[in-house]
Amino acid sequence: MDFYIGLLQVIGVHTLLGLSAWCILHTGQVSLAQGGFFAIGAYVAGMLTAMAGWPLGLALLTAALTASLIAIAIGFPALRVKGLMLVVATTAFAEIVRLVFFNLKWQVQTSNGLIGPDGGLGFGGIRYFPANAWNGLEILALIWSLVATVMMALWLLDRSRIGTLWRAVGEDEIAAQSAGINLTAAKVSAFGIGGAIAGLAGGIFSHNTTHIEHGNFTILLATFAITYPIIGGLKSLLGTLVAVVFIQGFLIEGLRFLGDWRSLLFGAMILAILLIRPTGLISAPLSLQRLKPTKYELEKGQTSGARHA
Amino acid sequence: MSFLRKNILTLIPVMAALLPLPSHSETREVKIYAFGAKSGVVRIFGLNSEAAMKAAAEQINKAGGVTLGDGSKGKLVLEYLDDRCTAEEGINALRRIASSADGFVAVGPTCSNVAEPVFGILQKKVGDASDTGLQFPVYTDVAAKGGLASMSQWAFRNVPSEANMYKSLFDWIKTNHPEIKTIWGGVEKDFAHSNATFNVMKDFATKAGFEVKGQSEWLLADTTFSNQVREMRRGEADLVMISAHPFTTCGALKEMQRQGVKPKMLVGLTSSSSVETLQGCAAQAEGIIIPTSFAPVTDDARKAAQAMQAVGASMDLHNAAAWENIFTLKDLIEKAKIMAKPETIKEDRLKMRDALASMKESYGLLGKVGRTEDREAVKPFLFVQAKKGEWTVAYKPN
Amino acid sequence: MAWIDFLDLVQSIMDGVMFGATYSLIGIGFTLIFGVMHKINLSYAAASVGAAYLSLLIVSVAPTPIVYLIAALCGGVLGAVIYWVCFKFLPLNQSLATLMSTVGMLLVLEESIVHATAGMPQNYPAAFADVVFNVGPFVLRGDLLFVFLLGCAVMVALKYMLEKTKLGLATRAVAQQPIAAQICGMSVDKTNASTFIIAGFLGGTAGAMTGAAIGVLSPLITLPLTVKGLVVTVIGGLGSIPGAILAGLIVGGAESLFQFVRGVSERDIYVMLMLFVFLVFRPNGLFSVPGGRD
Repeated sequence: MDFYIGLLQVIGVHTLLGLSAWCILHTGQVSLAQGGFFAIGAYVAGMLTAMAGWPLGLALLTAALTASLIAIAIGFPALRVKGLMLVVATTAFAEIVRLVFFNLKWQVQTSNGLIGPDGGLGFGGIRYFPANAWNGLEILALIWSLVATVMMALWLLDRSRIGTLWRAVGEDEIAAQSAGINLTAAKVSAFGIGGAIAGLAGGIFSHNTTHIEHGNFTILLATFAITYPIIGGLKSLLGTLVAVVFIQGFLIEGLRFLGDWRSLLFGAMILAILLIRPTGLISAPLSLQRLKPTKYELEKGQTSGARHA
Repeated sequence: MSFLRKNILTLIPVMAALLPLPSHSETREVKIYAFGAKSGVVRIFGLNSEAAMKAAAEQINKAGGVTLGDGSKGKLVLEYLDDRCTAEEGINALRRIASSADGFVAVGPTCSNVAEPVFGILQKKVGDASDTGLQFPVYTDVAAKGGLASMSQWAFRNVPSEANMYKSLFDWIKTNHPEIKTIWGGVEKDFAHSNATFNVMKDFATKAGFEVKGQSEWLLADTTFSNQVREMRRGEADLVMISAHPFTTCGALKEMQRQGVKPKMLVGLTSSSSVETLQGCAAQAEGIIIPTSFAPVTDDARKAAQAMQAVGASMDLHNAAAWENIFTLKDLIEKAKIMAKPETIKEDRLKMRDALASMKESYGLLGKVGRTEDREAVKPFLFVQAKKGEWTVAYKPN
Repeated sequence: MAWIDFLDLVQSIMDGVMFGATYSLIGIGFTLIFGVMHKINLSYAAASVGAAYLSLLIVSVAPTPIVYLIAALCGGVLGAVIYWVCFKFLPLNQSLATLMSTVGMLLVLEESIVHATAGMPQNYPAAFADVVFNVGPFVLRGDLLFVFLLGCAVMVALKYMLEKTKLGLATRAVAQQPIAAQICGMSVDKTNASTFIIAGFLGGTAGAMTGAAIGVLSPLITLPLTVKGLVVTVIGGLGSIPGAILAGLIVGGAESLFQFVRGVSERDIYVMLMLFVFLVFRPNGLFSVPGGRD
């Protein structure tokens, strides 16, 4: 039972990470910076509970807020670039964050000895959960109530005017701007909200693993973050959840019986999913037409605009 | 399409894969779980550990198996889980083992950056009801960063003490090579193990009376070392000590050859005393001395190394520890009268932990391994030197 | 600053610039694919390293230049495979899907390398490894000079191909106006495939040269090489081959300079900040390529 509870905890954290990427992808921007906000949330929350003795709720809130503020700060220069350049810029940001934490050395003396980030050696001793007698089910409830709250908030946002603005910017920036939509506000708000959610996810992550180090927050994590919404389907919040369950539950844990083949199949399965359902698991109905080589034919009603990366 | 129909393709395998497989046994199976990295750059550690443990278990089973608490015989069965050297999967793997109906001990992990989080989720003190950490004994074979077992009373390790080994090495060099006075260091900064060990090396080199003139730093995936080796060249030290894994060790050694840096002696990191280094740069590594806790110098060690060769693997200090762990666990299972039945499994875990804690010494291929108060090992060691593409014994301290 | 420190600084920058030639080669491939298809192929560096690994199969029987040639050929084959698996069947306007599919390919390639070699570093034959040129107080590595000259030769060859051959004409046409090109009778599919194959040759060469420059091959280098390749592509200007070459040298030199001044732990922070500066002041890169219709 413990194992399933632990697995569901991991799925919850990754769902939050995926949702944070969903926000930004929704406005048409591909950002690999989620790993950076995740790291910021992880370190800030960990430092607050382990070094300063703060209660968990306050620490998580502060972590989310810090990540959000940094995200908004990144959002402004991000406007200057689009497409591949944004991908590279956000990758650079995530790497800078990781390297800052790699260099961060700040330890304080507590009742449990010297605690704090120790540069390349990592930051251990974040034992808020076991030390305060939280059992698995309580942690699970916390994580999933946060996931549910965030999903509800995003769903309401999507149905509101802000969601419409985001979708408009995501579909066609020039048309949106012509219609009078403030591109800056839309994109920066998406970054900010996405950053907050990623910071929250990071805060929980550091408490789950009790020890974090710069190597946890590489580009690979950021790639996972955008994989979830892309594979799940950008039109649906539930799609992200399904994608996380698929990847973490099935590909990583469920396929253990395959032994050595599991890692090899991982990438291959992601490829396969994209070939079969390029718009995501929960989106357009399955169409076998996709499997035929693309012909440059204009289908009825389709305009010839090719969307650039 | 309804949610279920759309996703049935996903849901069926998820359900199937997560269901525990039914166990079947005519003979009593005693399950030993292990976990470590079998994917990624460090895959060789997991592969070697698994091969060593399986071979050791096979030897024990051939000799009659292990005697359980009620007098019956059981045969050891090993199951190895891949944690891909990531914290989350390591924790998941241990939780999966802890949820099983037949697991009462786990050997692993191989990566030190997985060991820290995994030990972190264990209950700190046995019997502390206010601590909801996991209660499951873990006996590590490879993860080598110093002092980890002190994190929890459920964590035990069978890894060599790098403090002891390097102290002995530098003292030996001081005594036998009086021409060596100055040292220059090279360190892989972003790998916890190399970083921590370098501090140990520096500490004991200084204490032994050498002058550490400076150090060159690089990152574990670095590809060019010209800056660092140039600093080294200016340092003109007699001895160069490199605390890095085979990839960058080879890169640095090749650059040293290119720039004509030829120190009188070379000292390396324990983990680099393996086939990997020789495969990457045997010519440049000629003469490097590394302290290690395994070489085929005793009968037991030779037999173990042969058993490894028979299955197409090689034995080094890491999987030698895994091999030793299996034999140690066999002794402990018999001493603690483990029953290995689903209904006794919780007591078996506590019995195993207590047995591990009360060990004063344990089985080792080079001789008896001592145990410390904080659940670490005091392993016999020796110094090996790379000569003509092979590791030979340079000195065996007693 | 003492004279010897100044000499070290200049030597350091020179070494970095020379090593940057390997980044240039990878950057050319990235930028070529982006310039023609407006898509990122994130698995490019992994395929390049994979091609170098494949060339190791014959290393014990063949002389070094043949090994490099085989690496290039394997790169071409891998390029075709990547095009066929990741791009051909995905509709062109699904840029996110192709991004993800190349990520999947990257993971498959990397794990395959790890499984085949158990993750252990492999010795790679170096060309001109012992050749050093002494220019005054400075030392120039012969093998890196060779890589640099190879990169220049490649640029000239590519320029010739793009401007003087029919394939080059088709490539440029498809890049600018795919519909019009098809109307003129060019096969978009075949052109894109050949772009991938050519980029693959380049990649295989780049992988071989990188392996030769380091001396060992390891799966550790795929991810950093991918990031560097992207940085070089962006700084050089998306789609510009001379831009990629120059940017590779700049990144190599800057890396070495930052390391000399601030040490290895902070080096990459400054490289990334340099990238930000470029993006803020010159978002189109060093040499911006005139855009197509959009």
